[in-house]
Amino acid sequence: MSDWSPLLAVFLVLPLTAAVLTPAVCRSSSTRGWAWTLVTMLVTSVIGGVLIARVATRGPFSYVVGGWTAPYGIELRFDEFSAVVAIICLLGVLAIVFSRRYAERALQAERIPYYYALLLLNLTGMLGFTVTGDLFNLFVFLEILSLSGYALVAISGEKIAEMAAFKYLVMGAISSLMVLFGTGMLYALTGSLNMADITSRLAGATQTPLIVALGAMTLGFMVKAALFPLHVWLPDAHAIAPSPVSAILSGLVVKVGIIGMLRLYQIAYGSGAVDLAGLNLVLTWLGALAIVMGAFFAVFQDDIKMMLAYSTISNIGYIVMGLGLASTYSVIGASVHVFNHALIKATLFLGAGALIHQTGKRTLTDLAGIGKAMPFTVAAISIGAISIVGIPPTAGFLCKWYIALGAMQAGHPFFGFALVFGALLIFIYYIRMVNAFYFREPRDRAAVDVQEAPATMLIPVLVLAILCLVMGVLGRLPLTFIEPAVERLLMPVGGG
Amino acid sequence: MIDALWQNLDYAASVVLFCIGLYTVITRENLIKKFMGLNIMETAVFAFIVALGVVEGGDAPIAGSGATPPFINPLPQALILTGIVVAVSTTALALSLIIRIWRQCGTIEADELREVE
Repeated sequence: MSDWSPLLAVFLVLPLTAAVLTPAVCRSSSTRGWAWTLVTMLVTSVIGGVLIARVATRGPFSYVVGGWTAPYGIELRFDEFSAVVAIICLLGVLAIVFSRRYAERALQAERIPYYYALLLLNLTGMLGFTVTGDLFNLFVFLEILSLSGYALVAISGEKIAEMAAFKYLVMGAISSLMVLFGTGMLYALTGSLNMADITSRLAGATQTPLIVALGAMTLGFMVKAALFPLHVWLPDAHAIAPSPVSAILSGLVVKVGIIGMLRLYQIAYGSGAVDLAGLNLVLTWLGALAIVMGAFFAVFQDDIKMMLAYSTISNIGYIVMGLGLASTYSVIGASVHVFNHALIKATLFLGAGALIHQTGKRTLTDLAGIGKAMPFTVAAISIGAISIVGIPPTAGFLCKWYIALGAMQAGHPFFGFALVFGALLIFIYYIRMVNAFYFREPRDRAAVDVQEAPATMLIPVLVLAILCLVMGVLGRLPLTFIEPAVERLLMPVGGG
Repeated sequence: MIDALWQNLDYAASVVLFCIGLYTVITRENLIKKFMGLNIMETAVFAFIVALGVVEGGDAPIAGSGATPPFINPLPQALILTGIVVAVSTTALALSLIIRIWRQCGTIEADELREVE
């Protein structure tokens, strides 16, 4: 048996190096930059696939950077939750393919090389965040992906883009500080930065500082995840960013906050040093509030991307509520919803991007009747809309079903009710969108008299839409994959 | 209570600094002042973490310098060195955003910008 673990380092170093080199490579031609980024991401995806296959057959494994053994050196650790790299790679590849034509029109030519570089950097940051086993390394990757995220929001050059990016930056920087502060506290308590090592040393730690540390980090990750009421930066930033970036930000970057919370849970539950019931209750309530408020705001939006952004807030609510309920079913549902929501939201944002690219319009009023001109794109968006409402047999159904089951299992049927109520509100605004695209008379015929989107845009959207359906049918697959990890996570406190 | 505060004066100072920074971020309308508040918060967290590693009467742990134990823990300092690099990049990005906001909207006061939007 050969040792595969160095692949884990290649997995991060390759896209990181390629990202830095991107502006030099595509100085003269944006096509070359596109191809360079795409090939890098494809190779990275293949490596990611190998790593996931390995974790599926042999369980979690780690790589020791520079030969300094854990807990002294930085440890890269790949476990079941790290399998989320699958969706990061997939969306990364598809967003890059989509950018080919989109970037040419939406961005100034001299910014395109930097656009690809930042996109790759952002993806690398997320990959690193999910596989690192070191708390400070986690912070560094968090900053890599956040900083590139702020710049990507501002890159479109639209009038309020810089302001949206600045708002995002201030909130993001404060939340990163919270995470750093918590990291410092945990280091003071345990003398270690390695997550597994911290877990084993935490038992018997003084309660107050431990709660402050976990609280600060959770707060930081809540801002990153845009959990209501800390979501104020999200709608503008996600709506104003170029559409492929919106897909990445909405589908993946907010999930980083969720993955961060999962990592914290691994530490807190694993050590058994602290009772999380209070925190869980807060998370459950905030999640339920986020579901309803996000959906409520979304109903009143006319701008299609703004609506999708508010829908993200609502869906983050589902995930956080699932985590907060802390029963086996709800945590499984939440983990899988991280994956499925990314898929669905990317379908919707890329589809919306294709509509905006072809028509130059972005409100539901202006886009009425577009279904006849761009049948494939609108069909894909409709599939996305059905999935996000959670109608079987699409991808969104299974996770919400599991979270609802989890609410029953935890003995809080009220939250199951909140979930269904939220789903109804979501149904209202998505049906409004689909209705406008298909059945409403166009306000201005000339505006919607356009061609179907070019192949590089249409293919990613269709692939994602088909995956939304496939994941609905094959939904058991990720569930059975994540189940042992969740059971291991919740075991020490006897949850489930 | 006072005694505990006095003994942990370094931590108390960073908490105060953090609150001053947060207050500045929330109350100031000028974007540059807002961001200076953020820088103060960053400094507070950095100072807190560096203070974690200090040992009373400790020496800098440099090999061959003739220093004697006890040593100051160098790890927090290494971490904060990275933290400072991150803070500098955040600052650079924020300032360049502010310049672009100024060019496009002619103001960097948050309340006036809301009207421009």
